[in-house]
Amino acid sequence: MKTVIRSTTLADKLLFIALTTAAVAGIFYSREAMPKGSDVIIEVDGRTAYTLALDTDRVLSVPGPYGNTVVEIKGGRVRVKEAHCPNRLCEKQGWITRGAIVCLPNHIVISVGGKTENLPKGLDAVTG
Amino acid sequence: MKAVKVLTVLLLLTATAVSCSNGPVEYRKTKPLMDTIVTITVVSESDRKADEAIESAFSVISRFSDKIDFFKHTSELSAVNRNAGIAAVTVSPETLGVIERALYIAKISGGAFDPTIGPEIRMWDFAKKVRPSDEEIRKNLPLVNYRDIVVDRSRSTVFLRKRGMLMDLGGIAKGYAADLALADLKKEGIAAGIVAAAGDIRAFGLKPGGEAWRVGIMNPRQKSKADELIATARLSNKAVSTSGDYERYFIENGRRYHHILDPKTGYPAAGCRSVTVISDDGIFADGFTTAVFVLGPEKGMRLVRDCGADALIIDRDGGVHTTPGLKKMVAFENGH
Repeated sequence: MKTVIRSTTLADKLLFIALTTAAVAGIFYSREAMPKGSDVIIEVDGRTAYTLALDTDRVLSVPGPYGNTVVEIKGGRVRVKEAHCPNRLCEKQGWITRGAIVCLPNHIVISVGGKTENLPKGLDAVTG
Repeated sequence: MKAVKVLTVLLLLTATAVSCSNGPVEYRKTKPLMDTIVTITVVSESDRKADEAIESAFSVISRFSDKIDFFKHTSELSAVNRNAGIAAVTVSPETLGVIERALYIAKISGGAFDPTIGPEIRMWDFAKKVRPSDEEIRKNLPLVNYRDIVVDRSRSTVFLRKRGMLMDLGGIAKGYAADLALADLKKEGIAAGIVAAAGDIRAFGLKPGGEAWRVGIMNPRQKSKADELIATARLSNKAVSTSGDYERYFIENGRRYHHILDPKTGYPAAGCRSVTVISDDGIFADGFTTAVFVLGPEKGMRLVRDCGADALIIDRDGGVHTTPGLKKMVAFENGH
């Protein structure tokens, strides 16, 4: 092993250090780069239909068995602006910045930070 | 150069071995249930076993939800409400169980938590800033009284004495769902996990590394993304729930109108911004948050202590109140 190390040039050593640093940094960088609750995920029938930025204001219509559900993202919050399901619980829930709005009749789930990948770093759940 | 390659490969192999080592790991699944998101995490050595256990627990919650859904015409709770002032209704053991516990919390809190708040809460629409008139609120108040719920355990029946009464179990149902799910997970052979029915959470056992589960507690007056949490709790074999005036609310003429109504007045309770309760059971954590919120910090803290639970109360001025036991489980974020 000593012979092997002695036979390496300075460039080899530098390259080794660079590769090691890059590999270790990559592990941390990939963790840091995970979403941090800034996405609005809209699922229809259990499948992700839209992934939208929470910090970009927009209004969109999501079709369902009870017609279009109008979802509004504004000022870092999201709400169901208009729904036509029987109890309109989703509409009554108002604005959220975290958690989920569920419209069971329309099979729509709108979540912000409620999913695993959107939990704040190192947490298993959030209460509130 | 060859040595460098060998060393690099060795390094990468070691990293892979560490990350792929055998032994129990966490499995997590999410499902929309009870008009919210339910997330179940379990510790298991087998993904098949974990998946079966989680799906079984989801089914338990789904079946329970169908029975106590306030808005579902076919639920047992709807049958009880439709027959208010008319007849006693036979219900399942789960429904009877949750109603009996709701009555216990109502009694012990002197009615600060009252599951018959239905006639008042249904008149509010916090998303559309609709509030009932003083006259409407006053008119419905006689219908809010947990003493008018008659439970006959031997016959498994529930009767609401007055016509127009409406029982709403929303204040404790998710906590109880977490309890039911946990019992089912244990039955399926799972020794550790965490069930989160939105913010009503029950943790058991320890994480694979031997640590307690980490649960963030929301800041009721969040100003930025960095300010989202007020504290973090480390929990094992405990339940935690939070009620806050920031969940469903509107502000009119500088006054905040939120969804936690005082059953004695019909108006939003004004003593607290948020209440977090840590208890052994989900249903009590969930029910006590509402009761403590309505009672306010002083009386609320007394109730929590008398019941052997722990609490974190943020009062209406932002003051922090905690039980001595809470400090062992909770670490506050910087600046709080």
